[in-house]
Amino acid sequence: MKRTVIPMGPQHPVLPEPLVLDLILEDEKVVDAIPTIGYVHRGLEMMVERVEYTEMGFVVERICGICSFMHGMGYCVSLESIMNVEVPERARWLRLIWAEISRIQSHLLWLGLGADAFGFENLFMHCWRMREEILDIFEKTTGGRIIHSVNRIGGVKRDISDSELAAILVKLEELGAAFKQTAGVFGSDPSIAHRLGGVGVLTTEDARSVDVVGPMARASGIATDTRLIGANGYDQLEFEPVVETAGDCLARVVVRMREIDQSIDLVRQAIEKMPKGEGMPLENRPRGNPLGEVFTRLEQPRGEVLYYVKANGTKNLERFRARTPTFANIPAMIKLVKGCDLADVPNIIVTIDPCISCTER
Amino acid sequence: MANPLNLPMVGRSLRNLVSRPATRRYPTEIRPRFAGARGTIEFDVETCNFCMLCARRCPAAAITASREERYWAIEQLTCIGCGVCVDVCNKGSLSMSVNSRTVHTHADVGPQGQRPGHEEWRKPALAAEVPSGS
Amino acid sequence: MDKTTFLARVEEYHEAGWRLALINATTIMPGAGEGMEQGAFDVAWAFARGTELETIRERIMPGDEMPSISGSFGAAFLYENEMRELFGINVTGLGLDLKGQMYKTATRIPFAPSAIRARLEALGRAEPAARHGAAAAPAPAEKTA
Repeated sequence: MKRTVIPMGPQHPVLPEPLVLDLILEDEKVVDAIPTIGYVHRGLEMMVERVEYTEMGFVVERICGICSFMHGMGYCVSLESIMNVEVPERARWLRLIWAEISRIQSHLLWLGLGADAFGFENLFMHCWRMREEILDIFEKTTGGRIIHSVNRIGGVKRDISDSELAAILVKLEELGAAFKQTAGVFGSDPSIAHRLGGVGVLTTEDARSVDVVGPMARASGIATDTRLIGANGYDQLEFEPVVETAGDCLARVVVRMREIDQSIDLVRQAIEKMPKGEGMPLENRPRGNPLGEVFTRLEQPRGEVLYYVKANGTKNLERFRARTPTFANIPAMIKLVKGCDLADVPNIIVTIDPCISCTER
Repeated sequence: MANPLNLPMVGRSLRNLVSRPATRRYPTEIRPRFAGARGTIEFDVETCNFCMLCARRCPAAAITASREERYWAIEQLTCIGCGVCVDVCNKGSLSMSVNSRTVHTHADVGPQGQRPGHEEWRKPALAAEVPSGS
Repeated sequence: MDKTTFLARVEEYHEAGWRLALINATTIMPGAGEGMEQGAFDVAWAFARGTELETIRERIMPGDEMPSISGSFGAAFLYENEMRELFGINVTGLGLDLKGQMYKTATRIPFAPSAIRARLEALGRAEPAARHGAAAAPAPAEKTA
């Protein structure tokens, strides 16, 4: 049968960042997909040579605009681990709260993109309208909507007062209630069920063999969540990983929607459990230069992110490596795209929640 | 299947006719940024003592200064708005305004050919500080 | 490195249900020790299972062959292509070869010891104080403080 090659990308409406997939088709079925990335490779890991370790946090949080907070947090947690610095308790809770709010923001962004991928632009606008509430919370508490710059090695730069925290919780609860209606649309709309149900199925065995992480793995029945390690304050919260078993695109949508509710619940628990009061210490400044190496894992919205930091006793780090979750999910994406219909390719690509700028750094 | 008497839809349409839009009429209506938002760096040359801490600590190397020349400059388009310079300045010469930086174009080149967004100040020395016989 | 033992260890991890989490290379600059006139690479393979993380560490000399672990972990091709393209490590048996077009960097092998040395020299890293804050205005006989 005659084969056609259709290049998808680097610019495409469903892609938040550039990615090329050369789709080889027979009729309407994709038989092979050859990826090309490299359009947003900025060489950020090379910046350790120029930028001192105290300033590298600002570079790291700019790896990606969607996962920005956790990149900054992961860098600081790695350096604190190397330099044996303990973060003050209130700072630890604040980081957790900001991280979970960042997860809500990322999932809402993704739900909007997912809706746009199958043409439901109205739903896309609703999700992003709700996301604006979160970005306003970030602007009020950190000074920036997308790039927060509140993480420092040893703690955080700004405090959120107890009254502000209560107000944030009220806003999040309102958001959760408003989100129920949107989630209802995702669940009950027949065209969404038709476009996403049974499409791009990743069985549990396949998911294990391609080493996926994050919501992709959880939607295929693997109960993995890096927050279960219990670091950074998560051991004081009660939660279970959100798992679905169907493994298709709709299951991944459902996992992320349920994770929004889970994150709102985690923020509520954190606000209840954190120490209350004013003027608490927020930063334990380290002394000297870092020496040593560490592997740190966090749960970003897209999955497990793994940082490897190696320091050699000078002001510049020797090696900084961020293995972001999309890097681990790209082989799964290529596997899923093979054998599907051409019209399903954008849906499948967007359900892995691709963050190509994170992948390429 | 399509019911012309779709009551929930009719109710929603009527409500939308009389309620306010969900969007803001930008640029006629601009939301002011919240207090504490990180916008633009502002500098007061009168209080600066040229200790050079801000220039050393700037992660983007956007600030250049010289103690001997009593000169301080910032590249606004290189500045990432992190606020570290504001935090380290002992004299309070630096502050962060909530407003975003103004837009610059290629035509905004400075008088000595500096990049758009380049802002500089010089502080003349006091008479008593000028060495005699120079 | 002994390829057979290494690949057997990797396969054990696969059989026991571990997931490949990272393959990372770090450049060791020349002169860091015995037999390292050309520098070397420290490569770490990290495997995760649940909340545990274990690593295999090997030192690879420039020009040494590094076997791909695509036989056990199919998802390794992305990491190994990156190592070949950024570090110049001679990876054999790649699962999917992106033919050096993965990142399309301006410098050909940016993390090779020679490239890193050239950049550090250009930055004048021996004098870190001169990086920030040196006056941009014309100044007579400016010292590097």
